[in-house]
Amino acid sequence: MITSITQRRHRARQLLAALAVLLPVAVLTGLASGAVSLGPLQALQALLTGDGGGQAAMIVQQIRLPRVLLAAVMGATLAMSGAAMQGLFRNPLADPSLIGVTAGASLGASLLIVLGGGVLQGFVGLTLVSLGAFVGGVLAVLLVYRLASSENGTSVATMLLAGIAITALAGAVGSLLEFFTDNERLRQISLWKMGGLDGANLPRLALASVVGGSVLLALPRYALALNTLLLGESEARHLGIDVNHTKLALIGWVAVGVGTSVALVGTIAFVGLVVPHVVRLWIGPDHRYLLAASALAGATLLVVADTLSRVVLAPTELPVGIITALIGVPFFISLLRQRHHYGMQT
Amino acid sequence: MTARRGMFCCLLLLLAGAARGEPVSVVDFMGRTVSLPAPAQRIVALAPHIVENLYSAGAGDRLVGVVSFSDFPAAARDLPQVGSFSAFSLEQIIAAQPDLILMWGSGNGSGALAKLQRLGIPVYVSELRQLADIPASIRLLGKLAGTETSSEPEALRLEQGFAELARRYRHARRVSVFYQIWHDPLQTINGEHLISQVIDLCGGYNVFADVATLAPRINLESVLARDPDAIVAGGMGSAHPEWLDHWHRYPGLRALQGGLLVVNPDLIQRPTARVLAGARDLCTQLQGVREIRDRD
Repeated sequence: MITSITQRRHRARQLLAALAVLLPVAVLTGLASGAVSLGPLQALQALLTGDGGGQAAMIVQQIRLPRVLLAAVMGATLAMSGAAMQGLFRNPLADPSLIGVTAGASLGASLLIVLGGGVLQGFVGLTLVSLGAFVGGVLAVLLVYRLASSENGTSVATMLLAGIAITALAGAVGSLLEFFTDNERLRQISLWKMGGLDGANLPRLALASVVGGSVLLALPRYALALNTLLLGESEARHLGIDVNHTKLALIGWVAVGVGTSVALVGTIAFVGLVVPHVVRLWIGPDHRYLLAASALAGATLLVVADTLSRVVLAPTELPVGIITALIGVPFFISLLRQRHHYGMQT
Repeated sequence: MTARRGMFCCLLLLLAGAARGEPVSVVDFMGRTVSLPAPAQRIVALAPHIVENLYSAGAGDRLVGVVSFSDFPAAARDLPQVGSFSAFSLEQIIAAQPDLILMWGSGNGSGALAKLQRLGIPVYVSELRQLADIPASIRLLGKLAGTETSSEPEALRLEQGFAELARRYRHARRVSVFYQIWHDPLQTINGEHLISQVIDLCGGYNVFADVATLAPRINLESVLARDPDAIVAGGMGSAHPEWLDHWHRYPGLRALQGGLLVVNPDLIQRPTARVLAGARDLCTQLQGVREIRDRD
């Protein structure tokens, strides 16, 4: 059962290579499928030359392309953030929402919907509601971080508990808002919470790429620190890791990345929690590979799930979170069945 | 036995009626018979649209309790509230001492009817699905409150108004319509929705009438594919939807040629007498679109 390090490294490289092929295939499939049926050739032609007959060019370039790429960037950001959080907290239940970012963002968005921000325009293609979500998410994380910090440093356990407390508090205030609001706003809140990539456009994609890209470049720099942290915090400190700086940096990047993702595409559960687990089951906990592979796997999963959400009931759209869970959970369970002791070793 | 008991009841009701007015009995939208010994004097209404329809029936002054967001007509805002449509207080309803409760079938939540019936106060269930239900409901409410002299003319006015629109646009060339409830996520209504019936009345057809759910989220490219003659924006309250501007990003759309319309959602999204005004507005605007298309 114990896999040697060279075997794991070999498997990690295989997985990275496989995902590097799968992701472009998923992206191309996403571009070629949708409510309007275009053949793959027509879609490719529309993409490359801007000419595929009729509205093909408009559909592929202006609707599908930003959407598929947004799914890829956000899927990668969520999954890599999840992998980093699980490493930092050394807890298999950790996901980005654990530090309060998702609940804070939901509350921010609900607040603005109830205050009537849903009908106002914000900046760069974002509604005020998305800005509210981002601000709410980041504020919640700051609060959690402050609660867990003292002159002795930041306690990971306190932070987990503070995250749970802030999540519960934000959830309760959000429910209170929903309780008092009217039917119409209630519907907007519930639609917003389900998440979805149908708001994708070029300005949003640009914003997602800048923020998501920075997060995707920044987190792998902490791969070795995360590996050392697996030994325990004081061990890592003795080995020369600036633990508090690492914590602050990781949490900061994850808050910005996940906050942006919640603001742009709503709360998409599951990608940040289970994708890193699946990858870790496959290639082991070496963050030098784990972070990159999680990002690729998250991107692929979200692109595939979003494509299905557009196609299955067309022209109606299914919430993408339903599909990520329906695809991912059986896969995860089958992996768990093969390795019963997995939950203990993390 | 039953005949005798029936006669006895009738006699009792007649006696009561002699004192306070005739007994009334109507069949509500769930097929339940609602009987009152006399026209209702103290009414609690558990949905904003029922409050509005009660005013249309000339019985607004009988209201002793409403729910939040009962904002039309303006007088309704000053009435005592018994909670919201989804969470009302039974205690406050009892305290209002109503002799009739008007309930919203699909809106007040499951179990609401049983809870209200246990109070021993007559409950009338309103559930409006068709345009014709609006005048029918106003008529029934007038009967329950004994204000037929006001409700009957109003019901007739609505029926004639709808009939006239139907007559005018029955043979008009059909224009395809996309009704946009919301822009992000993009949301519309299917053929079962009241708004879809208003569109039909105006000689239009809802391009997403075939979709399975009542208010589905819709894929953007399918709007381009179905390329409607007109896009009608709803929105929230009186906020003017700037969302229509987004459609200019897709220059191939037919609706860009004079087909981007706004109808005040307050006039069309609540099943009340105001729908006639909303329908007239929509019909006139769609006629404009029709004329542009005919010219092309």
